[in-house]
Amino acid sequence: MKVSYNWLKDFVDLDVSAKEVADKLTVSGLEVEDLIYQNEHLHDVYVSKIQKIEKHTEADRLVVCKVDVGFKTVQIITSATNVFEGATVPVALDGADLCNGVQIKPTNFRGVPSEGMFCSGEELGIDENYFEGAGINGILILPNDFKPGTKIEDALMLNDVVLDINVTPNRPDCNSVVGIAHELCAMYDKQFKDFDVSYKTVGDDVKKYISVDVATANCPRYMAAFVKNIKLERSPLWLRSRLFAVGIKPINTMVDITNYVLIEQGQPMHAFDYRFLEGKKIEVRQARKGEKVAVLNGNTYDLDEDVMVIADAKKPVVIAGVIGGVNSAIEKDTTESVFECAVFDLKSVRLTAKKFGLRTDSSARYEKGVNINSPTLALRRALHLVNQLDCGQIVDGLIDKCSQPLGEVKTVKGSYSKICKILGVEISKEKMLQILNGLGIKTTINGDQLVCQPPILREDIQNDNDLAEEIIRIYGYDVYNNIEGGLFENSSITIGEYEPRLVFENNLKNIMVDEGFYETLNYSLYTAQACDKLLLGKDDERRKVIKIANPISEDMSTARTVMAHALLLDVAYNLSVGNKELRLFEVGRVYQPKELPLTELPEEHNRLSFAVCETGYDFFNLKAVVENLLVGTSLKYKLERSKEPYLHSGVSADIVAEDGKVVGWFGKIHKNVLKNYEISQDVYYGELDTDYLSSLPEKKYETKEISKFPPVERDIAVVVDEKVSNAELVSAIRSACGKLFFDVSLFDVYRSSALGEGKKSMAYKIVFMSEDKTLTGDEINNLTNKVLKSLAFRYGAELRSI
Amino acid sequence: MKEKLEQILKNGLQETENAKDLKTLDDVRVKYLGKTGELTQILRGMKDIAPEDRKEVGIVANKVREALETALSEKLARLEEEKLQADMEKEKVDITEPGKGTKRGALHPLSRFNNKFIEICVEMGFTVIQGPEIETDYYNFEALNVPKNHPARDMQDSFYITDNILMRTQTSNMQIRAMEKMKPPFKVVCPGRVYRNDSDSSHSPIFNQFEALVIDENVGLKDLMMMIKEILKRLFGDNIKIRVRPSYFPFTEPSIEIDATCQMCGGKGCNLCKGTGFSEFFAAGVVNPKVLEMAGIDSKKYSGFAFGPGIDRSVMVTNKIPNIKYLFRNDMRFLKQMR
Repeated sequence: MKVSYNWLKDFVDLDVSAKEVADKLTVSGLEVEDLIYQNEHLHDVYVSKIQKIEKHTEADRLVVCKVDVGFKTVQIITSATNVFEGATVPVALDGADLCNGVQIKPTNFRGVPSEGMFCSGEELGIDENYFEGAGINGILILPNDFKPGTKIEDALMLNDVVLDINVTPNRPDCNSVVGIAHELCAMYDKQFKDFDVSYKTVGDDVKKYISVDVATANCPRYMAAFVKNIKLERSPLWLRSRLFAVGIKPINTMVDITNYVLIEQGQPMHAFDYRFLEGKKIEVRQARKGEKVAVLNGNTYDLDEDVMVIADAKKPVVIAGVIGGVNSAIEKDTTESVFECAVFDLKSVRLTAKKFGLRTDSSARYEKGVNINSPTLALRRALHLVNQLDCGQIVDGLIDKCSQPLGEVKTVKGSYSKICKILGVEISKEKMLQILNGLGIKTTINGDQLVCQPPILREDIQNDNDLAEEIIRIYGYDVYNNIEGGLFENSSITIGEYEPRLVFENNLKNIMVDEGFYETLNYSLYTAQACDKLLLGKDDERRKVIKIANPISEDMSTARTVMAHALLLDVAYNLSVGNKELRLFEVGRVYQPKELPLTELPEEHNRLSFAVCETGYDFFNLKAVVENLLVGTSLKYKLERSKEPYLHSGVSADIVAEDGKVVGWFGKIHKNVLKNYEISQDVYYGELDTDYLSSLPEKKYETKEISKFPPVERDIAVVVDEKVSNAELVSAIRSACGKLFFDVSLFDVYRSSALGEGKKSMAYKIVFMSEDKTLTGDEINNLTNKVLKSLAFRYGAELRSI
Repeated sequence: MKEKLEQILKNGLQETENAKDLKTLDDVRVKYLGKTGELTQILRGMKDIAPEDRKEVGIVANKVREALETALSEKLARLEEEKLQADMEKEKVDITEPGKGTKRGALHPLSRFNNKFIEICVEMGFTVIQGPEIETDYYNFEALNVPKNHPARDMQDSFYITDNILMRTQTSNMQIRAMEKMKPPFKVVCPGRVYRNDSDSSHSPIFNQFEALVIDENVGLKDLMMMIKEILKRLFGDNIKIRVRPSYFPFTEPSIEIDATCQMCGGKGCNLCKGTGFSEFFAAGVVNPKVLEMAGIDSKKYSGFAFGPGIDRSVMVTNKIPNIKYLFRNDMRFLKQMR
């Protein structure tokens, strides 16, 4: 909320700078986000009078002016055509730095020196609404009674400082000048200077002109007054200046008064042109389906029962609390007007504003809550201004339809010791009393008990914690900056525990890092097209996705059900910027709904995913990584051909646990998927289910005695059909060796035309060992032959001879 | 004969001394001590020497042999050592060439920060918990004292899925889940991802938070401050300065924000801290008794405090990351700097 410093001074005597006030507000809970000095670009600009205008001898379009700037006479060359001898104008002298970025220096035009520049309204940052003549394309001609030498900021009342305050939702009372002034009174220990709500009426009776019927529960209070014989004019400069400072466009006296009250009192108001209220009636009701209203922003809205409106006897004229209609707005020739000053339910206004995407100064205040008592003074304040500006005659009587009890002063009871406990600092009872009473919270302390009566508008004060906050924010939070004490002075000792999955994931992360991978962080919302790009089948469960109802963009419209999309995008991005040799991993979540639309929370599965795009990398490099990740777990698994649609069907594997659950998969990315991501190099990808793996029992390590007898190695190479797998051969070797088996490893795979089509040579190193003797050469040879025979018998393996 | 032996000794020593390599040295050995060597010949011919001279010649001959052998073996050792040195010189490698094998990758800066933070909290008695990112309106808002249509909802624009289910906007949902599950006194900490429908270019719609909650008898703002001071000291060292500002969160009362010495500039003032030397670190406060009651905790007996650092910002300042977008972009040129 923007607040004018001069306006605040109407209600509290401030003898400190705006900057100091801003700092004080910030440390007390009303954060001042910005300080705007209206005169920032108005220095070195003065009211001046043109004494004489002569033609420039060297240039047809220029004139040479002798100008009285009050304290001296200067010569100014201008091409402006609306200046004349005797005109009062703003002059920017050497050093001026105007609103539009123009900087003024003495210069000369074709040999004739010019010591400054006449200014237009735009160059001073104002427009026609603010000051007559400021909107024209030419020099701003000032009234003749402006005295040369006066600073322009003073002459035009542009010497205010605006505080842009972030008012927190618990303090709706501070969405007003008077609310903030009350705060300042407490902070500086000053007396609030009350505002004038007195006004004179001219007889007659409001009831003769208008009746009000409230037919909705969303309007707890509706007040109205009637003004006749209106003379609409530009408001006086002081009032325009106030509105202009806080960013509201001055229009005419009646409209400006409603806006003035809005800012000063935090109470939205509306002024109707009485001519257009059919049936002399105001009806506050929910709209009917099919009704429409054209409003002041130029749009027409279709209404329904969820929208509260102000209507006359026949039609809606205002979207209640949000925006006024065109059909009843104050016009230049308006002579009679109804003033509305109402309280609308915050939820209703909020929903309507949201529904139409309309955020107005009025709705912003209603959404935060306008107190039931607020119209009482606000309407009177508006009528006072009608008198003050002499813009119309007020008829006798006010309409006040109120369906809720007007707020009574509530009593909140607090405990001195509890408050001290909450704060952890000792604050004397005297100090507490001073602070609370200063805030207008009438307080007495009897023993430990505080009896407090907060002002009617301070609905947020309800318990010890609320009181504690009021006290400490005025006392000063800086008391905590250097506070001393024991860490566990008041708290119990508890035993810290890690979360098992987090620990497990950290272990995996460290393995990935050792394997040369870099951890990434990816968005868990993605495009709904990810499933298509990854070639998921029509019936794939993962096509059942959770959609965000109000996404920022299609790219972030869906909660992901697949991890691979993100890393493939990362690979594509890195390749596109010239990064090579990519090993990336992510620990993240996928979100799988049980049914759609969601009726209960979805399952959130935790995953480790990893991708490699590197020259010379192959399936078996990736397999080694997977093995290293799993070796420390108690998982017993086998590999099966993977069913993942985005992996190469021949170069990929599923990791299948003993219970049949697929707990991971890895392999080469499918060529068509690479195309979809515009990746032109092979990518290897893998994924593990960390929920499953972290829930496994810890791996138990049990060791055996080391044999006293030496192991013996033999190498064999056999030629087999391609379809025979390493696993089959290893298993055959193992069983052929029986008890004397110690280890076997594949060390070479060789293919050549000499071996024959569809054949491969597999070379193994077999290690034999006995528990109870040294094996002899004969025994080893016999065993080796047994192995070869077994391989020949089972798989047609031949000893390799070439 | 004695002269001859002395001559042999002199020549032998001289030749040994002169030998420049192992081959030459071996030739010297063979020449004097080999099977047909000059000294060997003499020793073998002892029987031809007159018996009265034999003893004396024998003594001299053996002395000569010992002297020669000693000289030869010393020289041998020296030459071998020299050869070894020469060989090693030849095998010298360029120690500035890169190491071989798999080079370690790196954790994301967020993980590094989280790990450190979690470790500190666990050491102080916190239990780490995790919870859902897709959450009900109740846990994300209502139970945190933000009823439907409450103006405080404007502080956090949400990604809705249904009227009642949304992407959590804060890890504070875990406060309620913890309070429902655990018996006081307890301390919990919950790192996690949160989501805001925030189209502002300087904010990421997905970011990271860290929620810490302490429920106990008699704890208040001072206990909160002592704990935060300890955490900041452990993170950034003893010289860290803090500054407390008032704030507003519906679920804490009083609510505060805590600034700490800006880690980007060390407190000198920079763009990030807008020249103040402090940057915002924690949002915190005393748990609102309404929230305790809603979660089924007796607010007369128990009180609590909660705090959460802005993780992404902390990660940025601790690693001097120039642009918040780097955190989610996964550019190798950035990630490699975390090795």
